[in-house]
Amino acid sequence: MSTTNADTDVTLRAWPAPNKEALTMQDLLAQVSQLATERGHLRDVTEQSLQHEIEASKHDLGLIADDSEQQDKDKPEEQLMKEKLEEIHLARIEMLKKLEFAAFHAGNAMNLVNLCLSRDPTKNLESAYTPMFKGFNIPRGSFGVDKGISLEESGRAEDITLHEDLQKRHEVVVKGSKMEALDWSTNSLLKAATELEKEVRKETKYWEEILSISGKGWSLQRTRGNTRNAPYAVHYGLPEANSRFKSRALAPLRMNKNGGIILDPNLRLKPKTLRVRIMENEQIVGTSHLPAQEELNKHDIEHSIQLSRDSLFEEELFYEMSMETRQLLGYGVELRDSTIHIATPTVIGQASQRKILIDCIDRDDQLGLQPNQPQNWLAQNIAEVLRLLLAHEHRMRLYRRSQVPPPMVDHGRQQSSPRLLRTLLAMFSHLDAVDSLHAYIHAAVKTLNSAGLDVAVEASRESLWVKLTDNIKNSENTDISATDQILQAFVKAFDATASITLPLSGVQQESIVIATRTYIGQPVFGSEHKLTLPPSLAKVLTLEPDQPRQFKFSSTRDAASYLDWILALYVAHDFLANEYSGRSSKRSEDPRLIILSKGSGKGRVKEDEIVIELDKGELKAKITSNAQSDTEAIRDSHTWNGAQAQPSLKDKVKSWIG
Amino acid sequence: MHELLLYGQVPLARHEQVLKILAGVAAMQPRRVRERRIIYKPTKQPEEPGAHLSRRGGTQNVAGKPVKQIGTKDLFYQHLVQKLSDNDFGHDNGRPLSAEVKPGQEPKWSLEFYDLLDTGDRGVSIRQTSSISLLSGNPHAWMVAAGPHQFVSEYYIEGHRFVHGNVVIFLHRILHEPGVRSLETAPKTHPPPFAALQPLDPSGAYILEAKVRVHDFNQTTVLDNAVREIAAFQDQMKGCVELALPDRLALDPRVKWKSPNPPSAMRPR
Repeated sequence: MSTTNADTDVTLRAWPAPNKEALTMQDLLAQVSQLATERGHLRDVTEQSLQHEIEASKHDLGLIADDSEQQDKDKPEEQLMKEKLEEIHLARIEMLKKLEFAAFHAGNAMNLVNLCLSRDPTKNLESAYTPMFKGFNIPRGSFGVDKGISLEESGRAEDITLHEDLQKRHEVVVKGSKMEALDWSTNSLLKAATELEKEVRKETKYWEEILSISGKGWSLQRTRGNTRNAPYAVHYGLPEANSRFKSRALAPLRMNKNGGIILDPNLRLKPKTLRVRIMENEQIVGTSHLPAQEELNKHDIEHSIQLSRDSLFEEELFYEMSMETRQLLGYGVELRDSTIHIATPTVIGQASQRKILIDCIDRDDQLGLQPNQPQNWLAQNIAEVLRLLLAHEHRMRLYRRSQVPPPMVDHGRQQSSPRLLRTLLAMFSHLDAVDSLHAYIHAAVKTLNSAGLDVAVEASRESLWVKLTDNIKNSENTDISATDQILQAFVKAFDATASITLPLSGVQQESIVIATRTYIGQPVFGSEHKLTLPPSLAKVLTLEPDQPRQFKFSSTRDAASYLDWILALYVAHDFLANEYSGRSSKRSEDPRLIILSKGSGKGRVKEDEIVIELDKGELKAKITSNAQSDTEAIRDSHTWNGAQAQPSLKDKVKSWIG
Repeated sequence: MHELLLYGQVPLARHEQVLKILAGVAAMQPRRVRERRIIYKPTKQPEEPGAHLSRRGGTQNVAGKPVKQIGTKDLFYQHLVQKLSDNDFGHDNGRPLSAEVKPGQEPKWSLEFYDLLDTGDRGVSIRQTSSISLLSGNPHAWMVAAGPHQFVSEYYIEGHRFVHGNVVIFLHRILHEPGVRSLETAPKTHPPPFAALQPLDPSGAYILEAKVRVHDFNQTTVLDNAVREIAAFQDQMKGCVELALPDRLALDPRVKWKSPNPPSAMRPR
């Protein structure tokens, strides 16, 4: 056997059998174990059984051999050959058929699996399909492909009827659903219409209310961000209010379900009002009442807006006053239990201690309780004045703001707080000081007149008030309204003047001028009387001409007692001395005058001393003799108290001296 | 004193609208302002640069003219400003010009000096100004004598003023009397009727001037605040009126000095 050309000449030969004779021990044992598995245990293998077996197998083989031998014998050799070939062909065809069958089914199985897997788009399985399956063009991941004829195309009678039936049914369904859709659309249209109507009604109502608010003069503005439910807001605060209250001045007008305006929480706050009470001897004798107001429907939105505006104003007023109390402690103003207590200056001759209480209370609390108290008018006036002053302050803020500002400097301009309580206090203090002083002056002058002295008095409580109307009429300041010009006169310092005209020894009449100035703040901090003496009276006082002839008194009592003294001095040292010129002499700074007259004895000179006293509007003249001696013997005295028909001082003194 | 300035233009058609917007911004009613401005030109020769240094014992200076000390070598035009009211127009009572005011009244006449705009770049124009109020006397006679000055021309300003915080907003336009002005040698003693005046810009456009005044230019915090305030206003007005910096040299108040060599050319009027 050559190894070089193995394909060309192959010799089919049985594998050389192993040398049976030389069985190795291992082979033998293997054969034994094989036989044991084939035939059971060696013990059962007997010679006899083996003989039987051989016999049986010989018999079987003999039968088969007999059969074939018989057929073979029937046919000739050639036919046999042909038959054999045919048989082989058949077998081959059979085999191919089965193979094809198997291949087809395997392909199907493969396609199925592929189809199942083709659901996954990431897998590319196109090449794995069988070519026939590929030709179907079945979409990926699909199942159940059916290919048939539609009903319309089929010509069968039952199919036609079925088709017509189906079509009829289809039409009915179409009609039904069309009607349903129409029904639905009518419904929704109706609903939309009602919705629209509702909206329109709502909008109309909202706009009506908005218009009625705007028609009443409230300023409306768009809300920021344009909120859906509240496109507008009402601005009811005052434009120049304190910034703390400015932010509260706006309330959005929200729309409720029916289009009405919902009250904003800002508008629903309990309105507050200022209450002024007058307390005398721990008893309330006067209470301010609510500001007059037109009757509005209680639930009207305008009403609540108005109440809010008023409340805001009153709260600001109270806030400003409470701030002001901090610097007015020295004037007897204090804030206790959210009530401002103001002690008014006690009027001379009035024992009762009067106090003003100001607080801010709920508006509704005050309604109903309106006892008729004697001082209600005062309380009401005070409340009104405070309101007027704050309104004035607001207008002045606008005025100041619209002036050209001074150049900027590094320290900011401080904003002064409005003078509300200070104005009130200044007014009380001024009226008190001026009235008591003027009352005194008038009494003194009347007494002097009754004593035959030609003394005149001219007094005004406040110099600016006297010519207020003229000032306003002639005012050239068009930026400030007349109201504010009036109120401006009250915020400024008050000046009162009184002049007592005296017939002096000189040719012309001269007068003592008393100017009273009141201002709560720099530089007087209250009321102050400034007394200016005329130059000729300064001579009486033996003042040097360059000495100031002005004297300042911070209390009325001091001023009055000084006036007493200076008038008495005038009467003694000027009036009487003039009358007895050459015969009189002054020995002291007191209002005493010594008049020399002829005595009873010859050559004797009588010395009479006249003492003038002026106290509390009473003029008293005394005559004493022997001025040199220490013991003063009052010879006679007379008192003038302003009553008519009294002898004049001149006559009296003449009668005394003789 | 220094001024921080921004200018914008408002066409006549928008004047009413801008006026209303400004009233809303400033939360105040507009204040009508009418002014007459008379321009004077110094006639003396400018000093040589450095001439003031070499001078000894200089007592030649005219007293009471602090504005002259500001520029050392430049000469500036001066403005005399008269505040007017509606009644002042067209009433010739034959009296000469007088700055007389009663005590307590606001002065009517003032002398305004404007320096050249500052060169710094802060987004606004800054210039030094000074204003002197005149309380008595004939302002024209005084101006001619002090200086000496020469009358150049006069014009009128009408407009509305607003105050918004520290920003003074002045929406105005310049009016003049049509005619040959170059023949005039002295200001009119009384303004002509208001109707006889015509806007200098024939379209009648208005100028919006935003101004913040600062007392001390060297205090940076104050100046920063002022710049911030005017810039905030500029920002607020964006879309309504565009406020911008004017060209620095367009507002040059200096007198161009020509050598008096041909004497005939020196005095054209």
